[in-house]
Amino acid sequence: MSDNPILSWKVAGVALGLLLTLATFLVKPLGVSTQFVVTDAVVAHQVAPQFAENNTYLSKYGEKTDWSVGYGWMLVLGMLVGGGLTAVVFRDRQPEADQGSMPAMWVGQFGASRMKRFGAAFLGGVLLLFGARLAGGCTSGHMISGISQLAVGSFIFGVTTFAVAIATAKLLYRSTQS
Amino acid sequence: MNTLIIGFILGCVFGAILFLGGASSYRKILGTLLLKDMTIIKLMLTAIGVGSLGVYLLDLGGLANLSIKPAYVWGIVAGGAIFGIGWAVSGYCPGTCVVGTSEGKLDALFTLGGALVGAFIFSLVYPTLDTWLLQNANLGKITFVDLIGVEGIYLAIPFSLLLLALAFFVLKDRYGEET
Repeated sequence: MSDNPILSWKVAGVALGLLLTLATFLVKPLGVSTQFVVTDAVVAHQVAPQFAENNTYLSKYGEKTDWSVGYGWMLVLGMLVGGGLTAVVFRDRQPEADQGSMPAMWVGQFGASRMKRFGAAFLGGVLLLFGARLAGGCTSGHMISGISQLAVGSFIFGVTTFAVAIATAKLLYRSTQS
Repeated sequence: MNTLIIGFILGCVFGAILFLGGASSYRKILGTLLLKDMTIIKLMLTAIGVGSLGVYLLDLGGLANLSIKPAYVWGIVAGGAIFGIGWAVSGYCPGTCVVGTSEGKLDALFTLGGALVGAFIFSLVYPTLDTWLLQNANLGKITFVDLIGVEGIYLAIPFSLLLLALAFFVLKDRYGEET
């Protein structure tokens, strides 16, 4: 079995660029992080409608009259379905190192504790979406879609994010770095 | 066709590309951030190179539904930095944690849960942050096309060639260099 992803970066990159072009032609560019707010807002409007209405950020999304489960939310639902179906079909061809919930690279550095890995994954998720909402987008909306549109703010996001992520990764893996 | 159905179909393809391209792999993401495995950065540069050309070719014909995010400098820098830490710690971004979850990866599911909590926490502090991070130094929805004042495609072509050259000829994996 190959150690490389099923699609080469060339094919996957060209396909993603064409997908972005098609999306921009049909509806609008790709974006993911807003949909986490929409999901929160829809749940909040169900569980605690008064709270949701008083929350100035959530009240912008998922109101009762318009569930805001629109194009963007369906896109993320599609990612879940499309990713899942592809994973089932191509399971045998996925490199073994990319399978499972405990990456070997993580285990080598931080040990086999599932609690530790899942705790870090959760904390990372909190930071991801807090940061993405503060910045107004994530890897898809800012970096892929935004930089493709030559948006100034998206270049600022791309540079800052990569610089900090590289520094954080180097810090986490400092003992194994030469 | 209904935009909901279009969104769903585009999302299916998006999820499939991310899975097949290895973007939902912790090993590939951390390899990129440690500057050893260039697969993911080359994938992104190629996507942006092709996307930039495609989007501004559409724009030339007046067919692009552009969506430019406002450049509020301090909010983006602060948010980008927090996002960067979360990216390196989890090994996922908001899109790839969805795909990782669809593969049945539990760590991706925890990132997804954390992301929902992170978005919720943001909604609680949004009124405070709005005044001093989002309203200050807001340059508006500007692009380099607006700044330079030429037809978009004339910027997109050299930009695209630069990114594709970086991906295809400049960046190389650096595994096995350390002793």
